[in-house]
Amino acid sequence: MSEGIIGRLIDALTSLPGIGRKTAQRLAFFILTMPKDQAEAIASAIIDVKNKACFCSVCFNITSSETCEICSNQSRDQSKICVVEEPSNIMVIERARVFDGLYHVLLGSLSPIDGITPDRLKIEELRQRVAKGNITEVILATNPNTKGEMTAQYVADVLKPFNIAVSRIAYGLPMGGDIEFADEVTMSRSLQGRKSIV
Amino acid sequence: MRNITEGIILKSFPLGEADLIVTIYTLDYGLVRVFAKSPRKTKSRFGSSLEPFSYNKITFLGNEDNNLPRLIQADIIYPFQSLRDNLKCYIKSTEILEVTLNLQPERLIVKELFYILLDTLKKLDSECNTNRWNLFYKIKLLKYSGLAPELSGCVICNCAGRTFYIHEGAVICEDCFIKGDYPRKISLSQGAINLYITILKWNWDNLHRIKPSDILNSELNNMIDRHIEYRSERNLKTKWFNFKVQQVMGSSVTTP
Repeated sequence: MSEGIIGRLIDALTSLPGIGRKTAQRLAFFILTMPKDQAEAIASAIIDVKNKACFCSVCFNITSSETCEICSNQSRDQSKICVVEEPSNIMVIERARVFDGLYHVLLGSLSPIDGITPDRLKIEELRQRVAKGNITEVILATNPNTKGEMTAQYVADVLKPFNIAVSRIAYGLPMGGDIEFADEVTMSRSLQGRKSIV
Repeated sequence: MRNITEGIILKSFPLGEADLIVTIYTLDYGLVRVFAKSPRKTKSRFGSSLEPFSYNKITFLGNEDNNLPRLIQADIIYPFQSLRDNLKCYIKSTEILEVTLNLQPERLIVKELFYILLDTLKKLDSECNTNRWNLFYKIKLLKYSGLAPELSGCVICNCAGRTFYIHEGAVICEDCFIKGDYPRKISLSQGAINLYITILKWNWDNLHRIKPSDILNSELNNMIDRHIEYRSERNLKTKWFNFKVQQVMGSSVTTP
């Protein structure tokens, strides 16, 4: 523990992920030289997010009101739901600008070895959303790892009785990557999921 | 020091933004926990090699006394992908990993157990519908961990007995046991006792010849699970997970 106001700030900054002692020190001295209003804006943004952030009552995205911006936007396609594990995944999909439907955040993934059972995720809430009708497709965009795969499979099983289209995001090689470094599983998945270009 | 060995991925735990702490059961070092830098990034060179069940050739840096060696390479020898393609198989195979994690201490080298674990995963990979391999593996794991229950007769007077006392880890006859109310006891059939003794004594390579009935398998499996839970002082999470999935789906995902 460091003493003094600068020391306190350095200690506080080191608690952030990816910030070591040296980076924290650099940031602390940068904050010291910043205009007062800028520093206050950062501080109030942190306080706001802690005081006002809550989960959207419909999709469990992070929001400051009852429903999030995406759920309350009527111009979006109301018949498609993209299922993700964490709210941060929504930002990544939104950045791609190819999906204009709604989302549903599960707030985690199934893991028998960690004791994460289906009732600890927002799967029942998804089932209820689909049961209300007017949903034609559910896209499962959970992580392409074992836990994400099992979660997707479980959700697909839960949604089977509704007779709607349930799809899984594609598997394969990342753009900008090199085939030479692909592992067996990724390569086999990308070959299985190949697409005709003619 | 650079260590090269073969290993099976048991579990991984996220650390920081994209790092992982991976628990691997290795051939030459027993159970080791290693630090892997950035495997969660899409362009990571580790690819899918750090997913559970993957059988890899691994290289890690660190001496024996190093608490968290650094994993620098993992090349897949066999991915056991089919165990991850199906929820039923996944739960069943995860049970194997969980009991290994619960009973094996770190850095205890048991090469026979490594080969048995590898072979069990191969068996589940090819015949996931049968339940016997989980039972066989658990009994062999208990044997190599020095925690195998004693069922061949009363542990005190060696006379015949069929009541297994969980906290004693053995069968004790009514004459030898001090009278009282012991809720943690299980009455076993003679068939279950015989099956257990056979599995314990027989060589792993010959166990494919044993095909117990579902009832017998279930009876012995239940006793073994309770014994493992008591000895490891942890509940079996996969068992609870299976129960919860059954509740929602309305049908058994894994048979007993």
